[in-house]
Amino acid sequence: MISPTLISMISAALFFILLTLAVYHSYAKLQQKLQKAWLNPMLLSILTLIPFLLLFNIPFEQYYQATTSLNKLLEPAVVALGFPLYQHLQTIKKQWRHIMVLLLVGVFIAISISFIITLLTINQYDIAVSLSLKSVTTPIGIALTEQLNGSNSITAFAIILAGLFGALLGPPWLSLIKVTSPKAQGLAIGAASHALGTATISKVSYEHAAYSSLALIISAVISAIFSPMIINTLAHFLQ
Amino acid sequence: MFSHIIYSIFSVGLCLLTGKVIEAFLPILPASLYGMMIFTMLLHFKILNAKRIQPCIEWALANMAVCFVPAGVGIINHFELIKAHGFTLVTIIFFTTFLLLTFVGLVYQRQLNRQQLTAIKEQSK
Repeated sequence: MISPTLISMISAALFFILLTLAVYHSYAKLQQKLQKAWLNPMLLSILTLIPFLLLFNIPFEQYYQATTSLNKLLEPAVVALGFPLYQHLQTIKKQWRHIMVLLLVGVFIAISISFIITLLTINQYDIAVSLSLKSVTTPIGIALTEQLNGSNSITAFAIILAGLFGALLGPPWLSLIKVTSPKAQGLAIGAASHALGTATISKVSYEHAAYSSLALIISAVISAIFSPMIINTLAHFLQ
Repeated sequence: MFSHIIYSIFSVGLCLLTGKVIEAFLPILPASLYGMMIFTMLLHFKILNAKRIQPCIEWALANMAVCFVPAGVGIINHFELIKAHGFTLVTIIFFTTFLLLTFVGLVYQRQLNRQQLTAIKEQSK
């Protein structure tokens, strides 16, 4: 016999997963049609589901528990990122020392400054962890947040914002400060605005796409290796 | 097409599993990142067939953001924080994103300019 609670749990899971997929799918189609970077389907889905849960008085915990199977796809999603890395291995071979050192310094500065400023202004450790990981691509950023006891949802939001800023304002800003080479533009946007920036700038040229996805993956790996060390050290001195 | 889907899922799963084993012995990086590196290597040394995997992976990469929607909805538990510090948070995110963007862009552009200059000098010699 299958107990009625099990049936209601399975049907709740099915309902919320299908709802999430349907909402996301319609926004993805909308973005495809209108080709606007700010119509980000992940952001719009979140902004649609929140009022839905509030309207029907559904506690977030129930929704989250029902959709855990989506969250479980996080790990294979990180593995899949190995594909663009494989595609761009040739690019790294030629320039790897410059790129590695530059991204290493960049990631170090970005994580430290975000963590210090947030801790000093808001004084909440979990929020500071989340903001310092905002330039890391979502699957790795969320995995690191869990490891360092940050706040998942704040990280997810900060990542979307960092992505949107770089995707929308990155290209005009870089041209303004005379960073005009497709390689440099791609590398900068991939490092600061991860997959969202990469998706936007990839439409410009193949070189933009290659350097941007290269920067996104290399800086994610650097962050995964060094962010626990940086954050633990800073937390030790600041708290 | 169907066999390509099975092949892709199997490849990613195998890499992730190997990553879990490595993580158990060497807990420095998350298992998924070990898996990612193994995946890259297996493709690079042509042990896995990139052509068979490409369509599936590209589809997955294009759509994976849907998996993070539930985590994002969790912001619902942070309304107090946003009311109190929302503006500060957005300002910090904005400022530090631009800092990283500007730093990486400027330094790499300068490096490229220097490389170009040496190439021109060598040519004129």
